[in-house]
Amino acid sequence: MADFIVHIDQNKYLSTDGREVHAVLTVSSTGTVTAEAARAEAAEIIIVDVSGSMGGSKIREARAAASAAVDALRDGAHFAVIAGNQDAVVVYPRGERLATSDPRTRKEAKEAVKRLSAGGGTNMGVWLGLAEKVFRQRPEAIKHAILMTDGQNNETDRAFDRALKACEGAFVCDSLGVGDDWVPAQLRKVAEALLGTFDFVRDQADLSAYFRDLTQQSMGKTVAELSLRVWAPQSGRVRFVKQVSPVLMDLTGKRTDVNPLTGDYPTGSWGTEEREYHVCVELDRPGQVGQEIRAGWVKLVRPDTQEVFATGNVLAQWTDDLAMSTRLNQKVAHYTGQAELHELIQEGLGARAAGDDATATARLAKAMEIAVESGREDTARLLDKVVEIDSGGTARLRRGVDKADEIELDTGSVRTSRLRGSEEG
Amino acid sequence: MSRCPLCETPVLPEDAFCEACGHPLGSPACTSCDAPAVDAEGYCERCGLRQPTHRDHQEIHLDGGAAGVSDRGLRRARNEDAMALLETGGTTVAVVCDGVASSPRADEAAEAAVRTAAAALAGGRSSQEAVKLAQAAVAGLTADPSDAPACTYVSAVVGGGRVTLAWAGDSRAYWLPGWVRLTEDDAVPTGQLTAWLGADAGTVEPHVRSFAPSAPGLLCVCTDGLYRYLAGHVPDGGQPRELARDLLRHALDAGGRDNVTLVLIPVSPQGDPHG
Repeated sequence: MADFIVHIDQNKYLSTDGREVHAVLTVSSTGTVTAEAARAEAAEIIIVDVSGSMGGSKIREARAAASAAVDALRDGAHFAVIAGNQDAVVVYPRGERLATSDPRTRKEAKEAVKRLSAGGGTNMGVWLGLAEKVFRQRPEAIKHAILMTDGQNNETDRAFDRALKACEGAFVCDSLGVGDDWVPAQLRKVAEALLGTFDFVRDQADLSAYFRDLTQQSMGKTVAELSLRVWAPQSGRVRFVKQVSPVLMDLTGKRTDVNPLTGDYPTGSWGTEEREYHVCVELDRPGQVGQEIRAGWVKLVRPDTQEVFATGNVLAQWTDDLAMSTRLNQKVAHYTGQAELHELIQEGLGARAAGDDATATARLAKAMEIAVESGREDTARLLDKVVEIDSGGTARLRRGVDKADEIELDTGSVRTSRLRGSEEG
Repeated sequence: MSRCPLCETPVLPEDAFCEACGHPLGSPACTSCDAPAVDAEGYCERCGLRQPTHRDHQEIHLDGGAAGVSDRGLRRARNEDAMALLETGGTTVAVVCDGVASSPRADEAAEAAVRTAAAALAGGRSSQEAVKLAQAAVAGLTADPSDAPACTYVSAVVGGGRVTLAWAGDSRAYWLPGWVRLTEDDAVPTGQLTAWLGADAGTVEPHVRSFAPSAPGLLCVCTDGLYRYLAGHVPDGGQPRELARDLLRHALDAGGRDNVTLVLIPVSPQGDPHG
């Protein structure tokens, strides 16, 4: 079975009145995972938007992209292709089921994809609902979907939320937005509910490369559905659990209680990769000076078998030495900053859309400061297209911002930079 | 009816695990919250407290009268001091080390140093040789000098009316009664050490001092957790075992900011009938 390592970065020292404990967990899976890849059963569903707005060159690129994804499927993987507009239909194989990948089925799937044509509306919840139904055929498989869209979802928020809820935990979904008419907030919802990523394909000619990469990554997943099991002492509680790298993902609301002191936070499926999580535990009261406690006990578990892959301790120790309690752990500080950057961009863009220029300017200017400090050059470059800061430090919103720049800034804000090796403490 | 210490579900006396949450039953009780929930790593699974270890308070008494005590104190999470005290032939050997708090695994450094040096001295090695061996043992705890466990060092060999001291760092020896200081610290006035044992210590050249007292008394070998509280009235006589406890209590009453370790060895001049 797969080997995992949990490494914990924190400053365990709290001041005499300290009650909040922070730590960054680095979870990495080692090469053994790759060696076992052949044995893991994979199921992949490719969901292509075929609504009316996809006409012309877009549907051609979408067909090519779906073909590229099919080509990236390994032999033996189970798969289907769904075309979505106001309805959803499995265009390959016939019937609502999964085919098994081999040269013949891949060729047939690509023939079917060539016949896709654009027309109709956009009901993403319906597309995902069909995927969930088709995936049920392979309950043991590592289930992954790629959803591509170029437009706004026509469903009511309630219908969309209900559809997402029904898919939660059933499969992981990465989504892609093409063109500048889609709404990042909608794909963000999909990513948050289905533990996936979402990305902006700014140049539609790159769509095939995105599809191929996502499929290859999915084929590399070998362990399904692991959770972070977090224990906190009786006189405390977990305040938040957030994935902070490679992208920000707040898992706090996804907790399933295991016992009164312990809860599981889902992390989705794993290949050979490294992810980082920021855990915060809040205690009812500080301990005595000199006392050390385990403030958090973290286990990487497979909830269906209760198998534990790795564990780590988040500690707290009270001291009256301010030099010790005020020292910042660099990783905790870094990811706190990255989460703040994301929030500032979201609030700034939200305020800008609502016409609240004062708030937008303040948030985006502060975001610019953090982006520059933390080496987020791409983000700083995009912020610079939205907010102008003169040499005196005065910030002003720019007019006539390119919609694509705004979408790229919005979409990319969940990505975090990593500390360089030499800075890790 | 007994209940699971974690989830409060009623459990039967013969159960090894809680049926509801799977917690193992019959674990040791926590020293703070009383829950029978201390796990193999030494943490309480209910309140989280790291349980005190045997090193948090240790006492040693020898038939010849020498006594030592080592205690975590009130403000430190663990005891990073270590002591050794033993008799061989007519000779008493004591080694006291104080793990440098700013170094990693300081407790291991102190433990390795006292164990190695005490064995060497008991085997007849010179005080200089014992320091070199202790230095090698501490340096051997890591391959990385930037992450080196470190400790101070003071040893005493008492026999045939002679006292031989060796030290590196700021742990000290005193003569009682009177608290007459016998060692000089390897430290700058701000307290930073200029000599210690560890992979980052370079070549260690210990101080060595040997003398034959003309009157009976007690040799006290100790760490800064004791001597920082020597101002004012401090007991300096009595049976070593009781005096060691009195001195520990004195240090704790005065604040107990650091680990406290002290060893007391009775010394009589050569030819003295009590020697």
